[in-house]
Amino acid sequence: MLQNVSHDLLAKVKDLTGVELTDDDRAYQDSIQIQLGILVLQLFNIRQLRSINQSPAAVAGHSLGIFAAAVASGVISEDEAIKTVYIRSQKMQESYPTGYGMGAIVGLTRKGVSELVEKINSDVEPVFTSNQNSELQTVISGSIAGIKKVLALAKKDSAQKAVLLKVPVPSHSPLMQSVADVLETRLATVTLHDPKCIYLANYNGHAIRNVQGVKYDMINNLVHPVYWDTMMDVAQELGIDTSLETQPGQTFTRLVKSKFPDFRTITMKNMKLDDIEFLLEKWKRG
Amino acid sequence: MATRSWTQNRDAKAAKLASISSILDGKFVKTENAKNLLESVINPGDKVVLEGDNQKQASFLSQTLPSVDPEKIHDLHMIMSSVSRPEHLDIFETGIAKKLDFSFAGPQSTRISQMIADGTMEVGDIHTYLELYARLYVDLIPNVVLVAADKVDREGNLYTGANTEETPVIVESAAFKDGIVIVQANEIVDKVPRVDIPGDWVDIVVPADEPYQLEPLFTRDPQNITELQILMGMMAIRGIYEKHNVQTVNHGVGFNTAAIELLLPTYGEQLGLKGKIVPNWEVNPTPTLIPAIESGWVQTIHSFGGEVGMENYIAHRPDIFFVGKDGTMRSNRAFGQMAGQYALDMFVGSTLQIDKYGNSSTVTNGRLSGFGGAPNMGSNPTGRRHSTPAWQSFRPDDDPLGKGEKLVVQMVETFGSNKKPVFVDHLDAEEVQKEAKLANVPIMIYSEDTTHIVTEEGIAYLYKTDSMAERQAAIEAVAGVTPVGLRSNPKQLADLRARGIVALPEDLGVRRSEAKRSLLAAQNMDDLVKWSDGLYNPPAKFRSWS
Repeated sequence: MLQNVSHDLLAKVKDLTGVELTDDDRAYQDSIQIQLGILVLQLFNIRQLRSINQSPAAVAGHSLGIFAAAVASGVISEDEAIKTVYIRSQKMQESYPTGYGMGAIVGLTRKGVSELVEKINSDVEPVFTSNQNSELQTVISGSIAGIKKVLALAKKDSAQKAVLLKVPVPSHSPLMQSVADVLETRLATVTLHDPKCIYLANYNGHAIRNVQGVKYDMINNLVHPVYWDTMMDVAQELGIDTSLETQPGQTFTRLVKSKFPDFRTITMKNMKLDDIEFLLEKWKRG
Repeated sequence: MATRSWTQNRDAKAAKLASISSILDGKFVKTENAKNLLESVINPGDKVVLEGDNQKQASFLSQTLPSVDPEKIHDLHMIMSSVSRPEHLDIFETGIAKKLDFSFAGPQSTRISQMIADGTMEVGDIHTYLELYARLYVDLIPNVVLVAADKVDREGNLYTGANTEETPVIVESAAFKDGIVIVQANEIVDKVPRVDIPGDWVDIVVPADEPYQLEPLFTRDPQNITELQILMGMMAIRGIYEKHNVQTVNHGVGFNTAAIELLLPTYGEQLGLKGKIVPNWEVNPTPTLIPAIESGWVQTIHSFGGEVGMENYIAHRPDIFFVGKDGTMRSNRAFGQMAGQYALDMFVGSTLQIDKYGNSSTVTNGRLSGFGGAPNMGSNPTGRRHSTPAWQSFRPDDDPLGKGEKLVVQMVETFGSNKKPVFVDHLDAEEVQKEAKLANVPIMIYSEDTTHIVTEEGIAYLYKTDSMAERQAAIEAVAGVTPVGLRSNPKQLADLRARGIVALPEDLGVRRSEAKRSLLAAQNMDDLVKWSDGLYNPPAKFRSWS
């Protein structure tokens, strides 16, 4: 995954966190390795885009992706993003060794999913309505026992899909408050700047133009659902008609395409930098 | 006793205009001085109309307004029939504006919901168009109006052409009450093709940096009409248009009504209905009407606004459309909405949700879209007097003082394009009312005004029901396999059919097997161009066929 990433970025990770990114499948079973690996890949992508003089009108990250979004919008430095994500991943790994995770339900509305979650959620088997990836694609988060019960109810309500995800942590739920507390302390001492472009916030789906909102998102991101679907609605209403997805994948481009078929999309995973430059310049000319 | 001045507003306006004499050349202000102009003539807290019509947008002025200094201009009370551009809402984020009275916000419905929820914006009300226009003359009299014209001459006479839309109703409310009328102009000319607004009503003209925004909102490519929509159209023609002898009509903007327009010259002809139904229309000049016009079905059309690409066709059909001596169409949304209330037999529209009682709304979770034309068109004006066969067909037999009713028809497929059920126990609008702290649930068309619901299952004749329980049963009978529809049972359905409250296709003599795309008078954009003798010029985005 990291074979093209510049060496000084990898060295930076080592210097700042002591973590050596080994870049193999086994290492990526580890939350710290995978989070730092993805971050550093995205930081490299941002450097590439800057090298061809491209700057975004808006940035949108999904969960871990908000740190790259914060770097791309000039809110936080590369170094501070790396240090913060290191702490985030460490703390996430310690929080819930077993018995917790996430599930995905396709084909029911958020309201429909929330009604099922309310029936099951308890102190013993907590489960919460979490990320909204598209109108009919909702994630739930909490105890595995609670999640399985909600998934069973969703199937009974004729959801097209109701599956347990391979995520070992109840991310984007109130169960992650302890991570937010640590990040709050951590970011209290970091110099942050107002975003240079619109920042689409995970925690409420709003377009944010000041540093306080981005800081809140970086601290509390894991406690709130990611309102991805709303973020995309807002982007479109703001006049955005082109998206570029950084590595590693193309999941979000697929979501954008199915929501807005007329959007022009680029995935850095599948395209060379000079082709990206050519396309973006061509589209700007109209 | 001190003498009261009775000309304070006039004096204030004169003072404001005097204060900008340095940038004013007659009525003209240079493009680059637009920001300076707005900062000089708008006061904090002013009521400002920014022309955002359904189609035409005063986009130069709307882009200039966010650039003013919020220290100088803030807390404006904006009045806009259509909130559709990003900057229409940006001014609330920066404090330039505080309060909004509006009708439609479809293209900005997520952001507007967010801004109301977090207190960035205060909403007066979500109006029907006619309510909003009417209030411009009563308790929302504007201090400043910002409107758009195609051409302006040296005296300030405006040519607004096919997209005159709301400009007259807005300008009149300010011009005669000491408001300031500011116009952005696509072009300054020596002589306008015709005078749509007299120069006498206009205070200031600014040449725009580029022509105002105009989108082809009502063009429906026949290629995208489905066989289910054709089936519903056939049912509607037989079970409603023919049955009630409908003469005057407004169609909504969806594919269902586009299907009906394209079935009149084919299926309608087969039924021998030509010359018997719908000669007179209040509708935007939608291209899918071309075959019905060309084959002699349609005699007259008055329009709320224009439609990009239809200009030349309209110019060559002045017997059908409202066309000036100059050869271009004149539209007027206020008069069109008035016609919808008082002159039409029937409104046919569509919606995103219908509840078990028959109330419908396009406001869904997290999206406060408002409604545009539908609430006026889709309501029964109880004060109406003039009689037509369709109106009379609703008159109760047992009431000597009884009167008729307007036909209000909702056409929906039981599941929407997003595979969500259209028929629901509770409208999302009920939640939205709570979230946005609105005085009323944002219902688009009330059950009591809805006379028919058409789905792919059949037609529910709601006006024939005697009780809410019976109305609910009729809705269930056509609601398919939605949770609402699953409550219907064969015995109930048989009873409703026997009493004429519900009709299935076979009850109407409509054969499902005949509902084929080949039945459409035009199957694609190319066909529409051919029907128009090459006079219709489709916008680029509809030209993939060429």
